[in-house]
Amino acid sequence: MSDAVRMRGVAVHAGGERLLGPLDLDVAEGEHLLLVGPSGSGKTTLLRAIAGLAPTSAGTVELFGEPAGPPEKRGIGFLFQGGALWPHMSVAGTLRFTLRSSGVGAGDVPARIAELLEQVELTGFDARMPATLSGGEKQRLALARALAVRPRLLLLDEPLGPLDAELRAALLERLGALHRELGCTTIHVTHDPEEASRIATRTLHLRGGRLANGESKA
Amino acid sequence: MSRPLVALALAALVVTGLAPLAVMLLRIEGADLAGIFDARTASLLGRTLLLGIGTAAMALLVGLPFGFLVARTDVPGAGVLRALGVAPLFFPPLILAMTWCVLLPAFRGAPAAIFVLGLSTFPLVAVFSARAFERVDAAQEEAALLCGGLRAVLRMELPLALPAALCGTCLAFAFAVNDFGVPDYVSSVGVKFNVYADEIKFNWSQIRRPGKPVATALPLIVLTLGALVPALALRRRGALATLGHGFRQPGTLKLGAWRWPAFAFAAAVVLLAAGVPVLRLLWEAANMPAHVRDADASPGAKLALGWSTLREAFGLAFEKARADLRRSLLYAAAAAAACAPLGLVLGHAIERARSRAAGRALELACLLPLAAPAILFGIGIITLWNHDATARFYDSGWMAVVLLAGRFAVFPILICAGAAASFDRALEDAATLSGARPARRLGAIVAPALRGSLVAGFVLVFVFAMRDLDSAILVPAMNKTAIFRVFNGVHFGRDSYVAALSLVLLFAVVTPGLLWTLFARKRLEVLP
Repeated sequence: MSDAVRMRGVAVHAGGERLLGPLDLDVAEGEHLLLVGPSGSGKTTLLRAIAGLAPTSAGTVELFGEPAGPPEKRGIGFLFQGGALWPHMSVAGTLRFTLRSSGVGAGDVPARIAELLEQVELTGFDARMPATLSGGEKQRLALARALAVRPRLLLLDEPLGPLDAELRAALLERLGALHRELGCTTIHVTHDPEEASRIATRTLHLRGGRLANGESKA
Repeated sequence: MSRPLVALALAALVVTGLAPLAVMLLRIEGADLAGIFDARTASLLGRTLLLGIGTAAMALLVGLPFGFLVARTDVPGAGVLRALGVAPLFFPPLILAMTWCVLLPAFRGAPAAIFVLGLSTFPLVAVFSARAFERVDAAQEEAALLCGGLRAVLRMELPLALPAALCGTCLAFAFAVNDFGVPDYVSSVGVKFNVYADEIKFNWSQIRRPGKPVATALPLIVLTLGALVPALALRRRGALATLGHGFRQPGTLKLGAWRWPAFAFAAAVVLLAAGVPVLRLLWEAANMPAHVRDADASPGAKLALGWSTLREAFGLAFEKARADLRRSLLYAAAAAAACAPLGLVLGHAIERARSRAAGRALELACLLPLAAPAILFGIGIITLWNHDATARFYDSGWMAVVLLAGRFAVFPILICAGAAASFDRALEDAATLSGARPARRLGAIVAPALRGSLVAGFVLVFVFAMRDLDSAILVPAMNKTAIFRVFNGVHFGRDSYVAALSLVLLFAVVTPGLLWTLFARKRLEVLP
């Protein structure tokens, strides 16, 4: 089985400043990798480099044994920090837009929306606008959007960040269940080492844009 | 909010901007209203609507893609194209009409007026759209990019940018339906294209019954308000929204194979709206059409002759119109300087009014002088101030300053209102708790933060005052200005001198904005 992610000598620079790397990273298919590091350590930049959103200044990125193509062709679901929900689209509108943009036929969209809403426990929220959702509901909608493209690789950027303890526990449980159900490779970024250690299969530490020694396996 | 300051600013607005309209409304008699529902009026209204809708449609169709391309994509020379794309808004529309009617002599009537006003007003839509596209959060854009590439990004962002674009479109409509100079000029030969503004001027100059032009103008005022009120509503509904915390500027979108076709479109727009008129004026100022016809002269000799004529024409323009130009600059600068503090006080008051209704009412009141046809505003100024007791004032340059300030104060007021909405209220609250009184808070906390907006307000009033012809055409104090001299020049024989004078006027109009852009560290903030 090939690696889901294989990065060699990848570096990201912006404005003459090194944000990431050079680093090597392998993530096996089906793995739930926890990437931990303090603020500014390059966690989000690493996810953005994998997704093709941050241009790399050096190195290569392979996904599932193939050189990575343009962002929309990488089969990646991305849960952005803070949700990044589209403020002018309802819950159903957000998912409909994502599904249609990723090539799902119009006839299949309603069923897929229902399925996604059920997966993230938002059934009945179809007509709600993002501004009317609670913090936990927003994160679950953002997760549904990430799952809508049927990702082979799911990138989670501080998915529990804005939530209180109770909601964090509930969403973490949902993420664990989804990982088991869907089996997609997941890279989960957090600044809190305790956050997802119980559902992760491996933990890596990032400091100053480089992977630190002391990789730990769950 | 300082009550004495707001009262003082309101009094200034009433005297300069609202009283000329009120005094005209009071002159309407029953007989004046009789004609506003007849077939002739309906036909004028139809033509004016056609002009407004045509101009607005062209401004939207050109301005929206132009704004997107220069603000967000990797189109070559985006920064330069963006700066040049604003220029047509600064050009007097009459000058655009002059150049295009010479280049395309058969191009007259409604299509010509729509084309010229569309070129003149598309920057309104482009500037608003560009700002809206810049305000889409990077993460929201990346989420769309991941699910469907550039096409998905466009589909996601268009509804977000559309309110801002429509806001600019409404303004383009309002400017077009009130324009007198362009329809008048393009109709001076060939097919006549009478619009409402023509009719108002005719009723004033021929009939001399003060109530008649006002009554005639009522449908046009309703039409203009019908465009401006939605523009304000769109602004309030977030068309020019403030940004949330954690906002990340979106990156440059790559157009791929579309990069050069997009450049061709943006460059063509700039060329048609700014490049061709300036080049044509230079060509005329050098009297090149006559030199080119000279079969005996070599190309080098023709160019040398052109250069010599150009220098003579500019010399003549400066000699004959120096005083007019100085007056234009003085009046425009004085009006802009008077409007800037007015903008700060009333703009801040609109946003910080205790009741929402009071804020809206104040906003609408500020808008009225611009909503009324310019020519009617000028007639109102005459009716209000042309009396024995105020004769000296009426004939002086101060009259021109009051006219221009009253007409254009709305620009800094709305710009400052938008900026005040984006300004963190906690900063003012902190000053309140430290004991600062309202006027001091406004001067020491709000004004420095709104400096870029205040300068933008100054520049806009200056530009519109320099290029204003319609409200000035009937007021004697404004008849000795550069734009009026150009107007007379094009109607009583066009030569290289008129072209040179037009170029001098263009240069004078863009100078303050150019100087600020070149030497100031802070950018002009027309939009919050």
